Amino acid sequence: MRGRMLLIALCWLIPALVQAEPMRVVTADGAITETVYRLGLESMLVAVDTTSGYPEETQALPKVGYLRALPFEGVLAMRPDVLITTEQAAPQENLERLAKAGVQVETLPMAWTPEASLERIVTVGEILHARSEAQDLVAELSSEIRRVQQSAVNRGSRPRVLFILAAGNHSVLLAGQDTAASALLDAVNAENAVTAIQGYKPASREAILASQPDAIVIAESTPGQFDISNWQEVAHLDAWKSGHRMVADSMFLLGFGPRLPEALDALNRVLPSGTAVVSDDS
Amino acid sequence: MIRDAAGRFGHTPALIIVLCAAAAVALLSVASGAYPLAIPDILKVLGGREANDPVASLVLLEVRMPRFLLGFLVGAVLAVSGALLQGLFRNPLADPGLIGVSAGASLAAIMVIVLGSTWLGGWLAFAGEWALPVAAFFGGSATVFLAWRIANRDGQTQVATLLLSGIAINAIAGAATGLLTFYATDDELRSLTFWTMGSLGHAGWDELMIGAPFMILALIVSPFLARPLDAFLLGESVVGHLGYPANTVKKAAILVVGLGVGAAVAVSGLIGFVGLVVPHLVRLVLGASHRVVLPFSALIGGTLLVAADSLARIVVAPAELPIGLMMALIGGPFFLGLLMRRKVV
Repeated sequence: MRGRMLLIALCWLIPALVQAEPMRVVTADGAITETVYRLGLESMLVAVDTTSGYPEETQALPKVGYLRALPFEGVLAMRPDVLITTEQAAPQENLERLAKAGVQVETLPMAWTPEASLERIVTVGEILHARSEAQDLVAELSSEIRRVQQSAVNRGSRPRVLFILAAGNHSVLLAGQDTAASALLDAVNAENAVTAIQGYKPASREAILASQPDAIVIAESTPGQFDISNWQEVAHLDAWKSGHRMVADSMFLLGFGPRLPEALDALNRVLPSGTAVVSDDS
Repeated sequence: MIRDAAGRFGHTPALIIVLCAAAAVALLSVASGAYPLAIPDILKVLGGREANDPVASLVLLEVRMPRFLLGFLVGAVLAVSGALLQGLFRNPLADPGLIGVSAGASLAAIMVIVLGSTWLGGWLAFAGEWALPVAAFFGGSATVFLAWRIANRDGQTQVATLLLSGIAINAIAGAATGLLTFYATDDELRSLTFWTMGSLGHAGWDELMIGAPFMILALIVSPFLARPLDAFLLGESVVGHLGYPANTVKKAAILVVGLGVGAAVAVSGLIGFVGLVVPHLVRLVLGASHRVVLPFSALIGGTLLVAADSLARIVVAPAELPIGLMMALIGGPFFLGLLMRRKVV
């Protein structure tokens, strides 16, 4: 009798001991969410924020709201062991309360350079006890980035790029200095054609014409948002006519996550090589 | 005071209904939220005992309780301020936004958000996490004071001038806010957008400590203005004849609104609709006497805001909707319905 009881108890206990509780993770930043997926650790994810729209599977996860307005109870209700977010996360009070409730709150720095974004991947890996996987991924990504950057350097010229952010039907913004867009251009040996603007500002049609870029990049927050028929100025630019242009998802271009090498490569391909376009702005 | 207003206890049923609604909403607000808490745990924590869920007391005592109290106070103050201003201006369209208090408070708040890293760095270093609410409070009070000074001629407050200067101050503050918005970085832009939609999402005892004294003061003073404001309904010249110091009443009302709404906006951002609509609601149902309108506005305003906040954190859980949005979504159709029913009868 006693032996049987023991056996039953063991049958209960052994699976519980072997399957250590998997970590429950909430991510609040698109690039960090992508990183968790790229590391193959998505089974740990119990919720994400509204900036996490890639990959497609994120749609099935509960959304705890926007990372700049994180709800305390909403995040806590997912019973996470870890919340991984960036220093953009707010309000501070709620992050402090979550920490008080026993959640490990990790606020990673913003990454606007290839080096910083790779470093962030390592950090995410360390937090999720997947350091070696993260290092493998970083090695792979950094060799791709180096390849793209080498070809960007070989190009010889430093093309000027007009970077447009289409965030809504009527909200078309020009990316100026001190933006993720500018940082992205810098990473492929290109520069922002819009020098007089700081941050993202509503697009002025004259400023577009005056910028005379060598290439045009349009980042859309949802596909198909930028309608070129409303922006004849853009269509009139030589760069548009000669095909030195690209339209892509803004999270893909500006996320600085694990898709950065692809983004840099796609961007690099639309840049004119030094000999093809003569751009001598006295 | 409510009993006094009711006279023949005519408003007692309404009072009972409102108090029941307030109690129901209080329960809803404390017992519901994205984080599931078992009823026994809630009772244990409220009874001062250890709950099974170690997080229960944090959720209840540090988050839901202060949030409920703050929500109720803010709703009550906004509604009472609306009632006071509508009485003072004898204008049903008056609301706390009209004399510039909301615009002034939001301008100050947005200045802290946008200029905090540059010109206002010193203020931020000095005031720390209190920088934004305290600035908003002073911004709101300062604009009210300015409007009041402009409207003051020979010791008399010209109510029409007060209204007009409020509109002008609103326009100026709006333009300054727009300018700051233009120069804001992407990050600042997003935080100020969220701030202007209003939220109790960060509410805690700290916010309550900053805001509550002024809001409670406003609520305590307002009943004393009820009878004089009733006299205002008969015309400004009548007030003096009935033995009330008209100018003191005006000053007191403006001060109450400035302090109360300044504090409310400081802790919760911009929450529209309550101040404009709740007094109307009370008047439609219970009559226009301020002895009824003021206390009922306070109760209904508080109840409505807490109800809206509870829904705001349930409907899209685990995320939360901005409270200002929720308020307009619930209150707008309800008020329209009331207006339409009234036309038919």
